Amino acid sequence: MRPLEETQRKFFAALQMPLRGTSRRSTHLSPNEEGHSPEFLAKAEELMEPGENLSSAERLELYHRQYWFRVLESVAEDFPALRRMAGEEMFWEMLEAYLQTYPSGSFTLRHLGRSMARFIAEWPGLDETQRRWFTALAELEFAAMEVFEAAEREPLPPEQLAEVELELQPHVRLVAMPVPADLCLGWDSFQPGEETPTQVAVWRGTSGAHMVRLDAVEHELLLRLKAGGRLEEIFAEPVDPEPSPEKVQEWFGAWQSRGWITRRGSEVIELKVGNNEDWSDVDEMASQAMPMEE
Amino acid sequence: MSDPRFTSGVELATGIGLRVPHYNHILSEKPAVGWFEIISENYMVEGGRALAVLDRILDQYTVVQHGVGMYPGDAGGVKFDHLRRLKRLVRRTKTPWISDHLCWGSVDGSMSHDLLPIPFTFDAAKKTAENLRIAQDFLEVPLAMENVSSYGEFKDNEMTEWQFLAEVAERADTGILLDVNNIYVSSINNGFDPMEYVNFVPPERVAQIHIAGHSHYRRFVVDTHDHPVIDPVWKLYERAIERCGHVATLLEWDGRIPSFNEVWSEAKKSETWREAALAKRQENAAA
Repeated sequence: MRPLEETQRKFFAALQMPLRGTSRRSTHLSPNEEGHSPEFLAKAEELMEPGENLSSAERLELYHRQYWFRVLESVAEDFPALRRMAGEEMFWEMLEAYLQTYPSGSFTLRHLGRSMARFIAEWPGLDETQRRWFTALAELEFAAMEVFEAAEREPLPPEQLAEVELELQPHVRLVAMPVPADLCLGWDSFQPGEETPTQVAVWRGTSGAHMVRLDAVEHELLLRLKAGGRLEEIFAEPVDPEPSPEKVQEWFGAWQSRGWITRRGSEVIELKVGNNEDWSDVDEMASQAMPMEE
Repeated sequence: MSDPRFTSGVELATGIGLRVPHYNHILSEKPAVGWFEIISENYMVEGGRALAVLDRILDQYTVVQHGVGMYPGDAGGVKFDHLRRLKRLVRRTKTPWISDHLCWGSVDGSMSHDLLPIPFTFDAAKKTAENLRIAQDFLEVPLAMENVSSYGEFKDNEMTEWQFLAEVAERADTGILLDVNNIYVSSINNGFDPMEYVNFVPPERVAQIHIAGHSHYRRFVVDTHDHPVIDPVWKLYERAIERCGHVATLLEWDGRIPSFNEVWSEAKKSETWREAALAKRQENAAA
């Protein structure tokens, strides 16, 4: 009897092989009319009993489809701007290669795009301009997913700023990019302009993810806030250029009004939702199979 | 009746799966639903609106956790980080039992996000039961294992699916979430008599029943949860109730989700079938 571990390794390896033929035509991937590879057919023959209506390979193929349909759809949903910028053909080619390099390592499909920026930074299918912009954009779009499910702590009243150890809220992400990739969110197609380093904060507000550009020094101070410490520790090292006290006051005012500052180690608070909220950006996992064509 | 140790002694009637398109209706109308089932993994997060909406639902309703990521059939063993997240959610929901699927789904930390079939071997039953015992001890809540829809059979199989389900449940001492739609789907795809399956399941272990719709293709059936329940599935449900007695019943509808009222009225149909089955059960007992 084959050990369970061996069966599962072989089965899983078959799932991760590229889709071909009819199965592939049911996705946005570029067509490949070749039949199954000899490796896939050998695994099907070895593992699966043929049925009355389906051969061993056809039975394994149903699982093969389900795997790819689900992960492709899930990761594509998380990168809508990257999809527009890359264009359909390049986007799906990139996704397929990504999923082969970085299969899901999390219990949830929401984290499937976690390594997308890292992958794009090394993927050979891009020119250097695309690489810089798409890497930054992927980081930005994934940050929007991360803040969706991050915790929120009690915001700190302004009068306590000088009294306690400070920290940046967990539902705020700081993204430093070599190019202004946030502009892509408003573009229909890729039209790269001047490449200036850009810093952005992404955070969860009452109606989903928000984004705001940051001054470079403001970004540096927020990084220090993220590391945590008392006010005097955050300002212990000089920043360049040194901002005016009025500017610093203005930044702190904005951070406070967005609820970004909390006391280090404070309690996680429970959010409230109303009766009529927009839930259209919420993806759910469930136990159903994906519809398919015969 | 289910043995109370598989349900923490909590008796529930008809429920539906809590799904995003229905959030606003439920929060504003507070419909008279017996209970909601949640997909645990959608709420195993640090914060945000998912937990906020769950808290409002918990103020009004009983919630039972149903998972898609425990993968008790994994040869690699249990994943304690997953169990820790689950347990944190259990403290919030106070779920009377936790259900998940009798399947495997990951290798070396890579996830399939699918409910993959376990070979029905004694070796696999032993390993799966071992994983389940560890999980149930850790979670300190009764577990119920759901039979999954299947699209093929392994050459290594040493027993039928229903024998495997009973074997694992007995070895691990867990409850069963009997999905009668999944039995129907697998019976078409794998060519067996679904009634034989229902008749074999140990009735005292059935803590919950799932009903759902599916998609019928020319040569196979896919468990898409996007249609009403068909009559052959209702008949399996009726027979299951006749054997098991009153069991918590839940309708799953996950694709092309219609209005709340449409889903709820489909779920309520189970009550007619249940009453008929319970009457038959009484007649049988009297005879």
